[in-house]
Amino acid sequence: MTPEAELVTLCGLDELIDSESRGFDPLQRGRDALFIVKRGATLKAYRNRCPHQGASLPWRKNTYLNADGSRIVCGAHGALFDIDTGQCVQGPALGQALEPMDVHLASDGSVTLRLKDLYR
Amino acid sequence: MNIIGLDSLVFGVDDVKACARYFTDYGLTAAGDGRFEALDGTAVVIRPQDDASLPAALETGSMLRKTVYGVTDQETLDAIAAELGSDRDVKTLDDGSLETTDDLGFALGFQITVRKKISLPGETVNSPGATVQRPANIIAADPNAAPKPRSLSHVVYFVPDAQKFESFYAERLRFVTTDRFTGVGPFMRPAGTQEHHTLFCIQTPPFMLGCEHFTFHMGGPTELMQAGKQFADKGYETFWGPGRHVFGSNWFWYFNSPVGCHVEYDADMDLHDDDWVARESNMSADTSQIFRFTLEENWAPSGPPPPKAD
Repeated sequence: MTPEAELVTLCGLDELIDSESRGFDPLQRGRDALFIVKRGATLKAYRNRCPHQGASLPWRKNTYLNADGSRIVCGAHGALFDIDTGQCVQGPALGQALEPMDVHLASDGSVTLRLKDLYR
Repeated sequence: MNIIGLDSLVFGVDDVKACARYFTDYGLTAAGDGRFEALDGTAVVIRPQDDASLPAALETGSMLRKTVYGVTDQETLDAIAAELGSDRDVKTLDDGSLETTDDLGFALGFQITVRKKISLPGETVNSPGATVQRPANIIAADPNAAPKPRSLSHVVYFVPDAQKFESFYAERLRFVTTDRFTGVGPFMRPAGTQEHHTLFCIQTPPFMLGCEHFTFHMGGPTELMQAGKQFADKGYETFWGPGRHVFGSNWFWYFNSPVGCHVEYDADMDLHDDDWVARESNMSADTSQIFRFTLEENWAPSGPPPPKAD
């Protein structure tokens, strides 16, 4: 495998709970690099960086969704984002969107990401 | 106008249980009726967002529904009612407190203060050249300490017009500007306190109208560090800090929160009287803090034994 294609395993698919969010810090930087929301068969993955000021989104470990799980919420200033598109629908990031991340499901059931995508 | 400071901040939230856990973990004491109190009785109040008794929400969806100031006497309440009643609705609620809005649309309350006088030791520091603050055999470091927030300190708003904000609080309510960030906003204190700031604003586009953060005073820098570490170790997310600000000199540590704004621990803020001349500077990384640090896991130096001599 070329260095560019090197993959990082985030977790097993069976570790993700439907309609819940989970964050990942594979480079152990002390702040999640990305988070995933499982929507049935689809994994919605976004970089953990609010387009407003670059803040980390969760107010508590793995807590990226609002109370009823209908929106992604930024714990910095309360911006709400559509889960399917990453678009900000209310709050300081209005007009901006979260950056989607390209996660893959490997044949062994693990959820992976290209290492180089973590460095942007 | 003897407004002495913030008595409480009232939030209408989508997850009451999560907020209750958050503010209990932060160190406040649940006092019933959604009140989470510091040691002196000042509080953050958590209500469900559809609570009909709350003032109307800002159109931006901010969860901050009311900022309640404490005053020393009924005379002050009457003076505020007369002053603001001249050009806006001022309601008197069943408990005798006043409810109205400022010129930016934020709901305000004024009440005879619930803030209790507390008598607690400050942080003791032994400094060469200075009088000993901690006598022999009295220990400072306590890994088991659980420092509690002492008093509601300040709130910061996002406003579309910092000039309008400063004019309202200075001219109508006699707040004093202690320092100013050019193009951003003034640090203000009500006339009844000497604390550097009880109120600050950051000028932003109108769609951001709301609360940036609020904070409670800790007893000192060590209490702040220890409380912040304990809070972070519970899984709560640092936003900025810990560090020490320039204007106000206060130590800071900001966290993300479920109430749509940052929640901070602060400590050791400067006091000012009417002789103070306001400073002004532009806002930048170097003018907003002297230093800042990132929390790391505890660690101790170790390594293999030195190689044996031949």
